[in-house]
Amino acid sequence: MDVQALEEEAQNAIGAAVSADQLETVRVQYLGRNAVLPQALREVRDKETGRTLNEARRRLSEAIDARRDELERDELERRLSEESVDVTLPGTEKARGHLHLITQIRRELEDIFLGLGYEVIDGREVETTYYNFTALNMPTWHPARSPLASLYLDDETVLRTETSPAQIHTMEQRDPPIYMVSLGRVYRRDTPDATHVPIFHQVEGLAIDEGITLADLKGTLRHVMRALFGEDREIRFRTHYFPFTEPSIEPDVSCFLCDGAGCNVCRHSGWIEMGGAGLVDPKLFESVDYDPERVSGFAFGLGLERIAMLRHGLPDLRQLWENDLRLLHQF
Amino acid sequence: MKVPISWLREYVDFEVPLDALADRLAVAAAEVERIVPVGVADEGGNLEHFVTGRVLEASKHPNADRLQLCQVDVGEPDPAQIVCGAWNFSAGATVAVARPGATLPDGMQLKRVKLRGEISEGMILAEDEVALGSEHDGIMLLADDLSPGTPLVDVLPLADHVLEVEVTGNRPDLLSTYGLAREVAALFDTELRPPPGIDPPVGSSEPVPIEIADSGGCPRYIGRAFSGVEIAESPQWLRTRLHRAGMRAISNVVDITNYVMLTFGSPLHAFDLDRLAGRRVGVRRAESGERLRTLDGVERVLSVDDLLIVDGDRAIALAAIMGGEETEVTEATSNVLLEAANFEPVGILKTSERLALRTEGSNRWEKGVDPHQAALAATYASELLVSISGAVLDSTSDVQAALDPAPRTPFRAARASALIGLEIDAQDQRALLQRLGFEFEGPDGAPDGEWTVTVPTWRARDVTREIDLVEEVARVHGLDRVPFTLPQRRELFGRLTQEQRLRRRVEDALVGAGYSEAYTWSLASDDVDPAALRLPVPLSAEHAVLRTTLSAGLVDAAAHNRDVGNHGIALFEVARVYLPSDEGLPDERWHVGGIVEGGYFVAKSAVDLLHDLVRVEPRFERTSQPTLHPGKAARVAAGWLGEVHPSVLDGGWGMFEIDLATLFADVPERTLYEDVITYPAVHQDLAFVVDRQLPAGDLIEAALAAAGPILREARVFDVYEGDQLPGGKKSIALNVSFQSDAGTLSDEDARVLREKIVARLAEQHGAELRA
Ligand SMILES: [Zn+2]
Repeated sequence: MDVQALEEEAQNAIGAAVSADQLETVRVQYLGRNAVLPQALREVRDKETGRTLNEARRRLSEAIDARRDELERDELERRLSEESVDVTLPGTEKARGHLHLITQIRRELEDIFLGLGYEVIDGREVETTYYNFTALNMPTWHPARSPLASLYLDDETVLRTETSPAQIHTMEQRDPPIYMVSLGRVYRRDTPDATHVPIFHQVEGLAIDEGITLADLKGTLRHVMRALFGEDREIRFRTHYFPFTEPSIEPDVSCFLCDGAGCNVCRHSGWIEMGGAGLVDPKLFESVDYDPERVSGFAFGLGLERIAMLRHGLPDLRQLWENDLRLLHQF
Repeated sequence: MKVPISWLREYVDFEVPLDALADRLAVAAAEVERIVPVGVADEGGNLEHFVTGRVLEASKHPNADRLQLCQVDVGEPDPAQIVCGAWNFSAGATVAVARPGATLPDGMQLKRVKLRGEISEGMILAEDEVALGSEHDGIMLLADDLSPGTPLVDVLPLADHVLEVEVTGNRPDLLSTYGLAREVAALFDTELRPPPGIDPPVGSSEPVPIEIADSGGCPRYIGRAFSGVEIAESPQWLRTRLHRAGMRAISNVVDITNYVMLTFGSPLHAFDLDRLAGRRVGVRRAESGERLRTLDGVERVLSVDDLLIVDGDRAIALAAIMGGEETEVTEATSNVLLEAANFEPVGILKTSERLALRTEGSNRWEKGVDPHQAALAATYASELLVSISGAVLDSTSDVQAALDPAPRTPFRAARASALIGLEIDAQDQRALLQRLGFEFEGPDGAPDGEWTVTVPTWRARDVTREIDLVEEVARVHGLDRVPFTLPQRRELFGRLTQEQRLRRRVEDALVGAGYSEAYTWSLASDDVDPAALRLPVPLSAEHAVLRTTLSAGLVDAAAHNRDVGNHGIALFEVARVYLPSDEGLPDERWHVGGIVEGGYFVAKSAVDLLHDLVRVEPRFERTSQPTLHPGKAARVAAGWLGEVHPSVLDGGWGMFEIDLATLFADVPERTLYEDVITYPAVHQDLAFVVDRQLPAGDLIEAALAAAGPILREARVFDVYEGDQLPGGKKSIALNVSFQSDAGTLSDEDARVLREKIVARLAEQHGAELRA
């Protein structure tokens, strides 16, 4: 028996098998119970021949296993390729939710100030006139106190017109240093239109410590504006008047749309008004017993809706309260 | 406030271009709306086309009854023929002419044209055609000593710019041309000319008696009597200044009072002296129900807080706000009482708010006018009345309570530098404050920079303390020069509280579950709680009550989405509700509420999720409330859930509302590790036949109580009611998992536990284990 010729023949047959069935037929033909090689092995007597035959059988057996793996892989590949799908069809539908745009802006602001080491203090919405007006140095005749401007529950109770009453509560509760922001709903008696809704959202902040300066306010607000509107933004201060700050300023941010060249959003000035700020008027320290010779502070306020309008191009604030999913899903 | 730049330049010189002026004012003094060119465009030689002319001939146009045909000497060899529609002139008149080539302010370009068959070479101008005023009934008549062909720009303020500023409430001094000029002089360090006005000689008549019954309301009253007043139209320059400042020219006397008000910011009033009973004036509060017909023809019913000017005893003016009709200056007036007074702001504000009557005068008074300006105003107005209306000043009197002395305050330059965060030289600070009118005591070069400063009277309301001077230094030295720094922290804090973090997680979990966040109004038309807080004056019928539940707003939001055709509606809101409280202010509580398509079990899934978030096992109990389906409503410790009652919102909606403080109350500060990995759990399915009424929750509760914590989970996976069961019964199939952290449970362990459960359920609920 020519073992070598037989093995060669078998190897060729293994290589030629193109299905598991054919391969099995080949296996039976060469390695099956009645095949030539196993029979020869059963009959062989001399050691040398036995080893040669054994090795031939082992090689063929391995070749069959290898070929079987190969055929199975090919078969899997073939089946998978038949299963190919239109990869552009939609993914499995699953309900998707979105945070309200104002919440997204609120969290963004909270995170900016948390990064600066500020606390977030949620003040009350229903306040006494003392905390909402008097303690903020607003005289009895101030227009904001008018029932035409604010929402009163009774003579001494008002829906907060800004979030700063929380600042007075905080100052009453503890000594400086204070670094805090308050965000949330505020209320004014406005007639709803595209840019006014009687309920809107503000962030108001307060920093009181030894040696707080107007320059610190400038640096802080620039950081905030860059976080909100991009790293290239500049800010400027314009003098203004508020009862609770002295000096009082209004911060402007350089227009992020035209980069200062002038456009409709910045009313061709290159600057966009962003709110109010200033050094805390020492008068506010009197009622909480802080020593204005030892500590100073700054305060500021921004409107969240204003950021939504400026940055996201929202044209009409009333839409924020309609809760139309088509709008909510945009942000 | 609108100020023609040419007027401003009368009092102050400045070299900077107008946009630089605007920028500086905007940053350091007052909001600048804009600086706009007004009048005739000064470009491309346009002004050369405007000249004076003398009418040589004027006759009716041969082909048009309403037009005149004029020959006008315009300083050229041949007269120009001009067709004109006005009739208030005749041959010999000196007029303003625009020649062909001129562009008028409205953009019209003049050409040589034929009008009804006659050539017209230009236009004889009325004041409105060159934006010098609003008059259009006749053309402008100029002084006869002007020679024809004189450039019109030399005679009339044809081209100008107007500065429009918005002044903050603390700076009434800037509501005047002179005040703005003073500010410009301080900001640009240039010279301010002295205020205009030279007193004319005073006659020796007996002064008009002035009786002030309320010197708190009227600390000063200057009354000046004039005779021989000739009421006429004001000269063109005056008409134009008023027009460009946004006021209408009326007659010379009234125009002068307005002009001087705009000059100094101290409003004036002129009475027809002959109509004052007893030729006297007084100031007092109104009696309740007293009436006065004001200049606008409206009969005003007064209250005891309103301040009045009276003659004998009759109201003749609403002090500081508007004069009375009966004593108004008219064409027949020849004797005038000029009032230059001072009024206390708050009362004026109240009256003008109550009557909804705001005027140029009240707008200034309510911000507080310097009483010292009254004298300047009286002087300047007197000079103009004499020179313009030909009047004679007969007498003058000045009744004043003790005016407050100018405030004085210590001031430390070092303190200003420290607060601004920028080292500013003490002498520079002093110099800039002096430019603003502040006076310093102590030697000029006080080395320590500590002074006592006297505030100028026109800033006395606004500047009283050192910190107010710091503001002056910061804004005039330049806010743009202040550097950018950050606070020097010595102590660090600033993190979200646990409650704030959990609130965010609640929002995020619901978003992850497919809910979108809604914002609904805190104010509702009504509330389920009859004690809910009501606004005495609601915003509107829909917004009158502070809500105690988020549900109404969510129902509206869901309905809106359904109505606009949106699908997959799932909304939540995290906001406050306002529970009435005995302690005055309401109890403000954060709630989370949600509404979702699909009914009870969809809502329950969200409530399960919220409890899972804080690792709290909720206990659901049947409940009822009017807005929910009577058979599909439950409460948990922190709130409620259910299917929306179809009469509230049809279509099978699930809704829930959870009080967050209650939900968060039992959240452990930290969650401890439990070994759920090392020893595998044993799972078994058990089906029980029970009464149909028995809630599955009760069955599970009993199972948990029977097996103890080793029963890690018991979950309903099937409920069957049907033919194979006796009537009134149902089958509940539970999947239970036993697991110990001490070792692997044997079959025997599991059998014992299972029997405990079976026994307990049989005993407690009559449950039979199904084979
Ligand atoms: Zn822009």
